[in-house]
Amino acid sequence: MTHLAPGREAFEAEVIPQLDSLYRLALRLTTDPSRAEDLVQDTVLKAFRSWQRFQPGTNIRSWLFTILRNTFINDYRRRQREPIPMDLETAEPHASFRAVDDEDPEGTFFARIVDAKVLEAIDRLPEDFREVLVLSDIENLSYAEIADVLGIPVGTVKSRLFRARRQLQEVLYDHAVEMGYIRPRPKAPAEK
Amino acid sequence: MPGGPNCREALSLLQDYLKQDITPELAAKITDHIQKCRPCFDHLRFEKNFLDMLEQKARGQCCPDKLRARILFELRSELERSAES
Repeated sequence: MTHLAPGREAFEAEVIPQLDSLYRLALRLTTDPSRAEDLVQDTVLKAFRSWQRFQPGTNIRSWLFTILRNTFINDYRRRQREPIPMDLETAEPHASFRAVDDEDPEGTFFARIVDAKVLEAIDRLPEDFREVLVLSDIENLSYAEIADVLGIPVGTVKSRLFRARRQLQEVLYDHAVEMGYIRPRPKAPAEK
Repeated sequence: MPGGPNCREALSLLQDYLKQDITPELAAKITDHIQKCRPCFDHLRFEKNFLDMLEQKARGQCCPDKLRARILFELRSELERSAES
């Protein structure tokens, strides 16, 4: 008879419900379903081997995301697709909103964009921005939790999130114009 | 911000407001401003729709059943290995 390790049932009860979240983060980091599956499996096995170090009552999601990200950095990271070139320092705040505020102030055009296009646009964000966006806007972690997972200050989380959203909105706006979902707003004449 | 935020201040806090990572007092001031200011209201709605869309489209992806089964199998194999050693 196989002896059950202490806490094995607790491990499965805590970790198995997080597999969807782990898989989504792995997909966005690796941008490859097969590698994402391997990354999730490696993450869960590493977590299992370290289970005695997990402090009950602390955030299981942050703990698992941290293991997944470290595993990705150490074993899975490879040259990604070229990120979309953009001068992030001078990116205009709220530019995409200003571009549509006459025609579609609610931003309903976003809903017409197919899922695959949105995911592709996320995958082309620079990795630093992509991971913050996924943890915040898809997995709903707080600023403090994201800072903990990534080992960066909360202020950096906020600024990366701001820029990630702006960049994604710009790309999706351009796509919506291209597809004819919205009309491009005439550009203001250049200042003399 | 005595007397409540202006548009620039309200927009600069929009991200924290939507993230609900803001003091209740400041949140109340932003809410008050947005209720009175149409451009800021539109802006909030635009950001909210963007975030709802993002969550809805990206959260549709789930861990494949075969991966779930593989992980459970590997966990049990790991236990057996540790029991044998």
